[in-house]
Formats: sequence, C-alpha cells, structure tokens
Amino acid sequence: MSNLEDDLRIALRREEPAADFTERVLARLNQPAPAEPTWLERLAVLMRPPRLQWVAVAMIVSVVIPAATVEYRGERAKQQLLVAMRVTGTKLHQAQRKVVETGRMGTRL
Amino acid sequence: MALPAFADIVREHQGMVFSLAWHYLHDRALAEEMAQEVFLELYRHLGSIQSPEHLVFWLRKVASRKCIDQTRRRAFWPKFGLDDIPEPSAKTRQADPMLSGALAKLVASLPEKARMLVILRYQEDLDPSDIAQVLDMPVGTVKSHLQRALGVLRSKLARTVGEIAL
Repeated sequence: MSNLEDDLRIALRREEPAADFTERVLARLNQPAPAEPTWLERLAVLMRPPRLQWVAVAMIVSVVIPAATVEYRGERAKQQLLVAMRVTGTKLHQAQRKVVETGRMGTRL
Repeated sequence: MALPAFADIVREHQGMVFSLAWHYLHDRALAEEMAQEVFLELYRHLGSIQSPEHLVFWLRKVASRKCIDQTRRRAFWPKFGLDDIPEPSAKTRQADPMLSGALAKLVASLPEKARMLVILRYQEDLDPSDIAQVLDMPVGTVKSHLQRALGVLRSKLARTVGEIAL
C-alpha cells in the first residue's frame, strides 16, 4: 500500500458533527409538516423579485411571439394575394389582347 | 419506532453520515444539514430496513446520492484552489495536520463520482465491490476511477507540497 493511501485514510477519517446533532434531528422530526401553500401564497411567491422578472419575461414572450407570428402570416397572405392579383391581371390583359387581335383578323377576312 | 431508539441509531451512525457529507462538500453547515436530511429520510423508511448491515448500507447509499445531487443542483464547486492549500511544515510520515488538510481539500476538488469513490474507499474502508453496490456502478468502473483519482491526487499533491515522498 502506498503512503498516499495511508495519508488519505488519515485525512478522511471520520469526524463527529456538533454535539447537539441528534437533538436537532429529533427536533426536526417533531416539527409539524409544513402546510401546503394556498394558491394565493403561490402567486405571491411568483410576484417576488427575481421571479417577477421571469414571469414578466414569460408573459412578454408568450404575447409577442404569437402576435408576431400572426402578423407575419397576415403579411405573407397579403403578399401572396398581391402576386395572385398581378398574375391574374397579366393573364386578363393577355386574353384581352388575343380577343382584340382575333376580332381584327375576323374583320379583315 | 420510538424516538429514543431512533436517537440511538442517529448517535451511532452520525459520525459516518456527517463525515461522508463533510469530506464531500467541505462545508460544515451544509454537511450537517445534509446529514440531518439523511436521518429524516431514514425515519420515513425505517420499515424497509432489514438488518443492521442493511441500515449501514442504506445510510451510505442515501448520503452518497444526496451529496452528488447537491453538487449537481447547486453547481457546487469547492471555493478554493490549489493556492489556498497550505504548505506542510515538515516532510514527515506522522499524522501531519497540514498534509491531511491539503489532501482533504484536494479530494474535495475531484469530480463528483471520483470524489465519492475516494471517500468511500478511504473513509469507510470499503472494497471496490462494496463501493460498486453503494453507487450502482460496475466494479471495473470503480477500480479504474479509483486508479485515475489516485493518479490525479498524487500529481496535484506533488505540485502542492513539492518533494514529499509518495
């Protein structure tokens, strides 16, 4: 066995806790179990800093992200509608030109 | 179980449980708090204890688990570095309080599992197979972790105290 192992046994030998350790354990056993906090108390805990800051951040995130998503979707739908209207306008214009040209050719014949 | 009988159990094993926590956490108040929690949990589980040997095994297992959980929960790391470890005054093989203090602090600076392995091995004098049962680890892993931890301690101690014969 190396000296290090002997030294470790000495360094890590058992030690006793404070003299009143047992009494303190027994005192904790005799304490009544803490009552379940009411919903109002739980809410009050949430309203204490720094938790309040996290609650605020969570609320902002839960409002801003859905709102931004809705706005983004609305903007995309608007763009798609404009493109569709432009395409439709172009097609209508082309169809109108064809009709006019066909009409002219018919007149000449 | 009556409280006086339970008090006897606490008195008999408080040194073991407290020392596991103290050597692991290196914070006396925290170690006492944790040791108290171990005995409170024991009181709730007394019905499942089958023998005195099982009681000792149970206490070591729960104390080890609580210590490791504590470091994970609070991201605890000992608040000292190698610079804080005092230089031993003499190169002696007697129980040198400076050397013991330095070694205890070095043990407390080991990673979680390795730290508990070393404490169970040298405080409780457990074999690798017993340690494997307490920590739910394969025996081979216990042995390799122990070897590695001893190597780390040897080199750190050599750096700390210089030419002490290891």
